[in-house]
Amino acid sequence: MFGYVLANASSLSPEEKRTYKEHYCGLCRVLRERYGQKAIMALSYDMVFLEMVLSDLTDADEAKGVERCIPHPVKEHGYTVTQFTAYAADMQMLLGYYSVLDKVKDEGKGKAEERKMRELLPTLEAKHPRVASVLKSGLEEIGKKEKEGCRDAEAMALGFGSMLGEVFVYDDSSFFRDDLRSLGCELGRFIYLLDAWCDRKKDAKEGAYNPLPEGIDEESMRSMLLDAAAAASTAFERLPLDQHVFILRNILYSGIWSRFKEGGRR
Amino acid sequence: MNDPYSVLGLKPDASDEEVKRAYKALAKKYHPDVAGNSPEAARKMQEINAAYDQIINHKESFSTGSSGGYSYGYGYGGYRSEGSSEPIELRAAVAYINARRFVEALNALRQVPQERRSGRWYYLAAYAEAHTGDTVSALNHINAAISMEPGNGTYLAFRDRLMGRRSAYEDYSRSFGGISTGFFPCCFPFFPCCCII
Repeated sequence: MFGYVLANASSLSPEEKRTYKEHYCGLCRVLRERYGQKAIMALSYDMVFLEMVLSDLTDADEAKGVERCIPHPVKEHGYTVTQFTAYAADMQMLLGYYSVLDKVKDEGKGKAEERKMRELLPTLEAKHPRVASVLKSGLEEIGKKEKEGCRDAEAMALGFGSMLGEVFVYDDSSFFRDDLRSLGCELGRFIYLLDAWCDRKKDAKEGAYNPLPEGIDEESMRSMLLDAAAAASTAFERLPLDQHVFILRNILYSGIWSRFKEGGRR
Repeated sequence: MNDPYSVLGLKPDASDEEVKRAYKALAKKYHPDVAGNSPEAARKMQEINAAYDQIINHKESFSTGSSGGYSYGYGYGGYRSEGSSEPIELRAAVAYINARRFVEALNALRQVPQERRSGRWYYLAAYAEAHTGDTVSALNHINAAISMEPGNGTYLAFRDRLMGRRSAYEDYSRSFGGISTGFFPCCFPFFPCCCII
């Protein structure tokens, strides 16, 4: 997806870095196994966060191993796979497919990619009908509003957020379903707004759509992002997490801001 | 209901971290995969869930009611409706909120036409929205509730809570290196890359 939900490496301990990386490599591995080498292009830290939240929440069993892979053929590295790694990989592909589809519709780019990924779609939709239908209608709605040139950034962000909220609900009967949905939704808002912020200059130059009001300053942007981040962490703190809670907090309270300043300069 | 801390086998001064750990240990023990589908295990699981909910969510001290000062989470199912004078849609919404089914609560609230929406309606809507991630609407609606009933302490406290999340977040984030450290030590913008860790 966007890859904004990642850790601030400078305040992680070596042990935490290793754990984080192993989960990242686990997701990469599962993506390659299930969807082929090319699928790692879809790999992002966002789904690593989801996988770690869900596996911590349910104390999922971990399968660990060591491998060499094509991106890193020389150095051996460890990986961790849980039952949610496959779920995160599926979600990554679903989100990836719909965003490619979007590109095809808008810019006519990525037709071959779209055709290839479309073959996977029936399986994914059959496996995750609830999430798939929410993603589909959500993206249609967003696409429609974009065409209308909607400049209500908060409304657009909420639309995107509710899609990610659905992705976080791995099981609709879970006791923590609402907290997970809120967490996903707020993070989704954050991601959408930050993405719009980082792209705003490029979009203006190319005449592409951007939901933010023209000439928005860093302070107002920060305030919007802060609201989403604070709400996400409120939901997060309600979940009974203990194994990865320091890494996840590092992401939520610091890492997700990594590209904010950078986006301000661009 | 029993004291929620004793349900989880804890002393009343246990920290949130201890509550979470105890919850997980018990939830594992009574999970259908381990304990089978016995009604006894299911009942126990409900009890554990309720205790967790009460401890963790009680701290938010959202309270409700325009006059009585009933508070949510005060005793299980503490979100009492205001009696038979209350429109049926609001009573339904309150029941859903009690069951922590916020999406359904919002659906029930939407049944009330615009002209019949009271301060309490706006408060309940804001409460449910805050729990489904729609903070923007939550803030708008709590402000609407306050403008309709300016002296209502419950509404004011709820708005403070919504606003207070930000400063709590900022304080806490400092211990992780703060929120404005925009840097990347390596090739991060290029993909695929995992060298930041």
